[in-house]
Amino acid sequence: MRIVGLLGAVVLALVGCDASSTGGGAGGGAKSLTVAMMPKSKGNAYFIACKKGADEAAKELGVKLIWDGPTDPDPAGQNNIVDGWITRGVDVIAVAVENREGMSSVLKKARQKGIKVVTWDADTTPDARDIFVNQATPEGIAKTLVEHAARLLGGKGEYAIITASLTAGNMVAWQKAIDAYNKEKYPELKMVALRPCDDKQKQAFDEANNILNAHKSCKLIMAICSPAVPGAAEAVEQSGRADVKVIGLGLPNDNKVFVKKGITEAVVLWKTADLGYLAVQAAVAVHKGTLKAGDKTFSGGRLQNLEIKDDNLLLGTPFTFDKSNIDNFDF
Amino acid sequence: MLAQALPTDSKPRLRRLVLSHEGVLALLLVAEVAVFSVIGRNFWTAGNAFEIVRLGAEIGLLALALTPVIVTGGIDLSVGSLMGLSAVLFGKMWRDGHLPLPVAAAATLGIGALAGLVNAALITRLRIPALIVTLGSFSLYRGLAEGVTSAVDNFTNFPDAFLFLGQGYFFGVIPAQLPIFAAVAVGYYLLLHRSAAGRGLYAIGFSPEGARHAGIPVERRLTLVYLLSGVVASLAAVLYVSHNGQAKADAGTGYELRAITAVVLGGTSIFGGRGNVHGTLIGLFAIVVLQQGLLLSDGPAELAGILVGVLLIVAIAANRLIATLAARRKGE
Repeated sequence: MRIVGLLGAVVLALVGCDASSTGGGAGGGAKSLTVAMMPKSKGNAYFIACKKGADEAAKELGVKLIWDGPTDPDPAGQNNIVDGWITRGVDVIAVAVENREGMSSVLKKARQKGIKVVTWDADTTPDARDIFVNQATPEGIAKTLVEHAARLLGGKGEYAIITASLTAGNMVAWQKAIDAYNKEKYPELKMVALRPCDDKQKQAFDEANNILNAHKSCKLIMAICSPAVPGAAEAVEQSGRADVKVIGLGLPNDNKVFVKKGITEAVVLWKTADLGYLAVQAAVAVHKGTLKAGDKTFSGGRLQNLEIKDDNLLLGTPFTFDKSNIDNFDF
Repeated sequence: MLAQALPTDSKPRLRRLVLSHEGVLALLLVAEVAVFSVIGRNFWTAGNAFEIVRLGAEIGLLALALTPVIVTGGIDLSVGSLMGLSAVLFGKMWRDGHLPLPVAAAATLGIGALAGLVNAALITRLRIPALIVTLGSFSLYRGLAEGVTSAVDNFTNFPDAFLFLGQGYFFGVIPAQLPIFAAVAVGYYLLLHRSAAGRGLYAIGFSPEGARHAGIPVERRLTLVYLLSGVVASLAAVLYVSHNGQAKADAGTGYELRAITAVVLGGTSIFGGRGNVHGTLIGLFAIVVLQQGLLLSDGPAELAGILVGVLLIVAIAANRLIATLAARRKGE
């Protein structure tokens, strides 16, 4: 029993120290905010690029930034980390949500404990967060893509779309927005084929070949999921059809080769560093009360006068990677 | 060899306790708690203590189920995969089959029992080693889970009353899964340490042939532990679904190895014949405290994997060292 008692005493002594030191820590915490930020997965180059901007904003604002997440996309892992942050006590949580409904209740729990919650990149249910930092609306993406198509085709002609699936929510939303903007602005521009590739590069390659064979007058392939952009470009290159161009939504590194060869003319995405930067700016502003759902615009640091639509803070017009700038980006 | 003399004075008994494997591990656990209480924020709080139990519940259930399995000299590698299969079948029965949730949960436990029986039948009837049988079902059950859902279907939007099981608290602090976990722990304690069947399991672990000669119904006992292992894995799956608010084919991926780590860390011999439920619980919490402690002290989560490895090696090396020293002293 004596040793057990001794251990107890040691533990109590340590706890005693701890109680006084956390008291000091909490005092310090009042001065500098702690923002806990989570990507879908830590290993993904896309999120590593987002972190650069997040670090920049944290430095500017003088807040402590905790960056943690599962190594691979894992909803259960995300939940456990948020649970830990709630226990630890942070001021704001900013999450790129892997599973919309699965994450909702743990984020609601955080809000009940007085922690502000911001989502970025991918949203949860609206009642589980204060604001969503939305990198691109379907309308914004559609406008940028159709403008590129019209520019490359001279305002009229045929093009085909390769999508990930005909049922996935974001894909359908993008495709509908493209259709709407196309019909309104460029009535002579016609989509002649819409093919799903199941988010696979090989299948996008096969579909692009089918399109090239079936629609000889189709001069442009618009790939709206990231594996489809290099897949379609590969098919165009192998067909030797110099008159057909590729544009799409994707990551710069996947497409550098084809952009430099002049097959892929434009890769549309957003500036990932800006997304990370804005997420931290928004997180801090939500905590201070200077940003809330219902506001019309938001300015944070180097990003000024951004539009807020309902409870979505919009990053703005998507960014286009092309021959002139693609080498400046590495993700 | 340390336990041969039964001294009446308290000092050697205490030494025996401290020098036992569980004693060494408990000291390591206390050291972990002490360190994280200093460097972690809000670590030394009642809320966090309950939170640690909550985080450990699913792996803990698997570890409890695996303790008697490993005591018999067997292994069940299929528990993590069975969690995945149970989770998606549970989701499917509820969403597509329109069964009420309690009925779906009960049916899920039945599926777990069936899956455990398949393992048991192959091990006891065909006399295939448990490692090979459950390596097969490890792949089979996960494959079925992915097949049922085409690996993409995800069951969500469970009602709040069900989510309470994995996310709610009684009186604001006691996690809802704690009573379930405690009941299963007590059940396994009674089975292993307070019943004739439990003593039979140790005998089987030492020598299955010897146990058979001693009149122990070896096949029936083995069937029992593998069947229970299946049921408990399904129970863990239901808790997992409630905890995460979703049922997907990847539920419980890698959990079998984490549970086995907790069991072995807790002093159960992988060769069978030795081990106990309280050792497993200490082993479990040594791992979960490490993970939670790192999170609360803003340490990188990857470090947890490294430290669990170090912990396992240190605990087992210390155990060996003590045994060697004791044997040497006895020899002098």
